[in-house]
Amino acid sequence: MTLGGQYGTVAVMVVFGAVLYAIIMLLNRLMRPSVPSPLKLSTYECGVDAVGSGWSQMNIRYYVFAFLFVIFDVEAIFLFPWAVIFGDLTSSTTPSALYALVAMFLFIATLLEGLAYAWRKGVLRWE
Amino acid sequence: MAIDFGALGPEIALAVTALVVLAADLSLRGPAKQLVNPVAAAGTVVAIALTLRLWGDERSTFGGTFVIDSLALTFKLLFLGTLLAVLGISWRFFAEGRYFQGEYYFLIVTAFLGMVLMPSARDLLTLFVALETVSIPAFVMVGLRKRDLYSSEASLKFFLIGVLSVAIMLLGMSLVYGFTGTTSLTGIAEAIAATQTPGSETPLLLAAVLLIVVGFGFKVSAVPFHFWAPDTYAGAPMPVTAMLAVASKAAGFVGLTLVAFAAFAPLAGAWAPVLGVVALATMTVGNLGALQQRDVVRLLAYSSVAQAGYILLPFGVARGGTDALSLAVNQTAFRAVLLYLVAYAVMNIGAFAVVIGVARRSGLRATADYAGLGARSPLLGGAMTVFLLSLGGAPLTVGLWAKFAIVEALTVDVTAFGLVLAAGLVVNSVIAFFYYLRLIRGIWMEAPAEGAPVPQPGFNLSLVVVGLAALTVVLGVLPALVTDTTSVVTLALGR
Repeated sequence: MTLGGQYGTVAVMVVFGAVLYAIIMLLNRLMRPSVPSPLKLSTYECGVDAVGSGWSQMNIRYYVFAFLFVIFDVEAIFLFPWAVIFGDLTSSTTPSALYALVAMFLFIATLLEGLAYAWRKGVLRWE
Repeated sequence: MAIDFGALGPEIALAVTALVVLAADLSLRGPAKQLVNPVAAAGTVVAIALTLRLWGDERSTFGGTFVIDSLALTFKLLFLGTLLAVLGISWRFFAEGRYFQGEYYFLIVTAFLGMVLMPSARDLLTLFVALETVSIPAFVMVGLRKRDLYSSEASLKFFLIGVLSVAIMLLGMSLVYGFTGTTSLTGIAEAIAATQTPGSETPLLLAAVLLIVVGFGFKVSAVPFHFWAPDTYAGAPMPVTAMLAVASKAAGFVGLTLVAFAAFAPLAGAWAPVLGVVALATMTVGNLGALQQRDVVRLLAYSSVAQAGYILLPFGVARGGTDALSLAVNQTAFRAVLLYLVAYAVMNIGAFAVVIGVARRSGLRATADYAGLGARSPLLGGAMTVFLLSLGGAPLTVGLWAKFAIVEALTVDVTAFGLVLAAGLVVNSVIAFFYYLRLIRGIWMEAPAEGAPVPQPGFNLSLVVVGLAALTVVLGVLPALVTDTTSVVTLALGR
């Protein structure tokens, strides 16, 4: 494809995107009722009333929980494909079912030690 | 795909040690906590035994991304020996200070796990994981003195620079993957040799290679990426500084060696001159900076920047060709890097050990505090003299042979650029001797200050200091003990 042809494709995409946007917004305007109210100008926070400004400080303790959540989230990501394959394994396949089981439990035990560490150090207490 | 667990022995031993250390820290209370140090040391000895058991083997597992060969085993032994020495100088320091002992030993074993993994990696991804396993515990270890602002500043600087360097390196790696379609080091070399004509390579590929080199430049604190080093070294707990200045830097050099000589050897015409110029700038800036220092830790920090420059020099003459001469040049350059890293580990950990011994209980770390050290403590004064002479490259110490190997590598094939680099090494050695000898003169020829305390280094630290000083001299007299091993290490990276 020539250079002009390549940019032509981009140009068509840009025009198409702009037209599509215009049509959708126009349909929107034609079909919706217009009921303006000051409440609609406030920040949307999942239906909860907005409190304070956006610069308020977060409690640092959320950080630890977010951290622990990510760790166990990643563990779950590894567990799912393992669980899918595990059903097909028997004692005669390579790797064997026992091998896969032990390997996964070693992995989980390593993470559990991290959790035990956080627990003993009082990270999980909230007071 | 079967996994060769025997080949992974040292890594498994260190990983288990790290977990045991963490569990021991949870169950021990009060002064008993310092017992995690011998536990960690015992695990290291097991890892060394497992490494020696593999000696002479050629194995590979995980689809060739993890290999065992003479290169990997030599570096593994270097790192594990370094870990033993660092544990020796850490015991009293961490037991007597208000530190987080259990966390420290867990983190340092984890960091060394990454280092031991590094020389076995033959894949960009494995290399990257190993590098991060070294870096992330190091960020935390630097900030272990939580309530000390200097330590926090050091940790923050190190973290920001470390993350930046990793981002740059990852960008380069992803571009290289885009060009070659593989992350295997040998695969990259083959793809580059097959698709690029020497002299007219794709500019973006060269840029990607330089991005990766720059990423490693941060790790080894090469100029102009060295700004974090002095502040981080001065603010970190001293054993951590020794670890960063020696082991972490050596790991960076291992990674650089692997990508440079294994993956990007065909492009050496592009990166070698860059690294040569960087090496010249690094040693000059490091040495001139060290001249100004009044704090021994900062002096050693700048000195280690300069040492990184020396180690980078052989990269400057690397060649892209596949003829016998080019291969000989690369081989000698690589062996010079290896020998220098071994020598550097011995002498620099020794120097930091003496600094820790002098600072114990007194906190003294200014160069002026070293006046009359020889009279107050002949052991520490004598050992420091040996280490400083070796860092300078004086005869009868291993430092001389390390520098000799570099000059040898620079002159395998005499070129103008090689001679410029060699001249830079000579001039810088003279500058370096000025500040090393100034400290030695203070140790032996100046009277100690009124009421200067007698250092009490403690048994473990004395043992490490005496051992390393003896090793410095013995290797200085009988360099063949190391070179017999390093000279058989080949860059047989699957070519």
